[in-house]
Amino acid sequence: MKISKKIIDNLKKGGVDFYLSVPCKLLANMIDILENDKDVYYSAVPREEEGMGICAGAYLGNKFPCIMMQNTGIGNSVNAIVSLLQLYQMPVVFLISYRGTPGEPVGAQGGMAKITEDILQTLRIPMLHCFSEKELDKISTFSKHAKVVESPVAILCDFNLMKDDK
Amino acid sequence: MNRFDLLNKVQNILKNNLVICNIGLPSQELYKISDQPNFFYMLGSMGLSSSIGLGLALSQNKHVISIDGDGSVLMNMNTLATIGNRAPSNYTLLIIDNGSYGSTGDQRTFTDEKTSLKNVALGAGCKNVVECSGEETVNALNKAIDDKDNSYVIISKINSGNVKIDPIPLNPITIRDRFRKFIGIVKYL
Repeated sequence: MKISKKIIDNLKKGGVDFYLSVPCKLLANMIDILENDKDVYYSAVPREEEGMGICAGAYLGNKFPCIMMQNTGIGNSVNAIVSLLQLYQMPVVFLISYRGTPGEPVGAQGGMAKITEDILQTLRIPMLHCFSEKELDKISTFSKHAKVVESPVAILCDFNLMKDDK
Repeated sequence: MNRFDLLNKVQNILKNNLVICNIGLPSQELYKISDQPNFFYMLGSMGLSSSIGLGLALSQNKHVISIDGDGSVLMNMNTLATIGNRAPSNYTLLIIDNGSYGSTGDQRTFTDEKTSLKNVALGAGCKNVVECSGEETVNALNKAIDDKDNSYVIISKINSGNVKIDPIPLNPITIRDRFRKFIGIVKYL
């Protein structure tokens, strides 16, 4: 819970006030925190691509949105990222649980893990890869960076960082 | 009545609200009929008009009308579940259902066969779902906007067919910034 709380605190410190999630076991604590937070908007959404659309609308309405999802969700969202968020230069924070990195017990997660950073690089999306607790302090500055450069940014929360956050 | 006729008919209602307009011919036709700063034209991301409008309605108080098509809703059908569970009362989804993919050459969609978007929307949890003719759409829209307690999904059944038209000449940042200026967010224009 300590790691999850620190991540949410840093996102809020960075100004993020609108949260969506497509659930992941590694995001469960963050979802619990947000469901009980009266200061920010939070909702689940069925699919990541749709979430990109809702985030775009929230930005138009003067919110600073974040979508929480597994790295698999990036694969579901490429066109929405390029032809909506990047085309109109909309700042959105992607908070990504990075499944399939070393320590991951589910072999099938390895496929998307192998190409996740390549996809983000191809999309020219700035990335912050958090391996350990000390990187979490960079999250607020990194979130603000999205607004400065008017672009989506991606925060990757490594499997090993999240797995013991009971 | 085709889409162009319908957009002509409802343009005065649209002018007084925030509008998210579907990619392709719907946006191009609306632009030709009457260009307004409070119209957000989609230049990409087919399927997401409903979702963009929902995010906007959740983030500020002005009434939002998402103009969508049957083909686009079929592409992002999970949006109806999100709308059914989360849409605030300042949100109206107007689905222009002409049973065809108009922008790509009028290929038939499944709403021209067995699929009823009205039943899908009801099953997804949307409470106020109105299926009506093109002529009845003005009244349905006015009712949806006047009702301050409920969101609406309006499915306007019209004929397929398009008018010959040019792409929208505005660049995306212009569309974005004049829209946000209308809401009162952008001050520098």
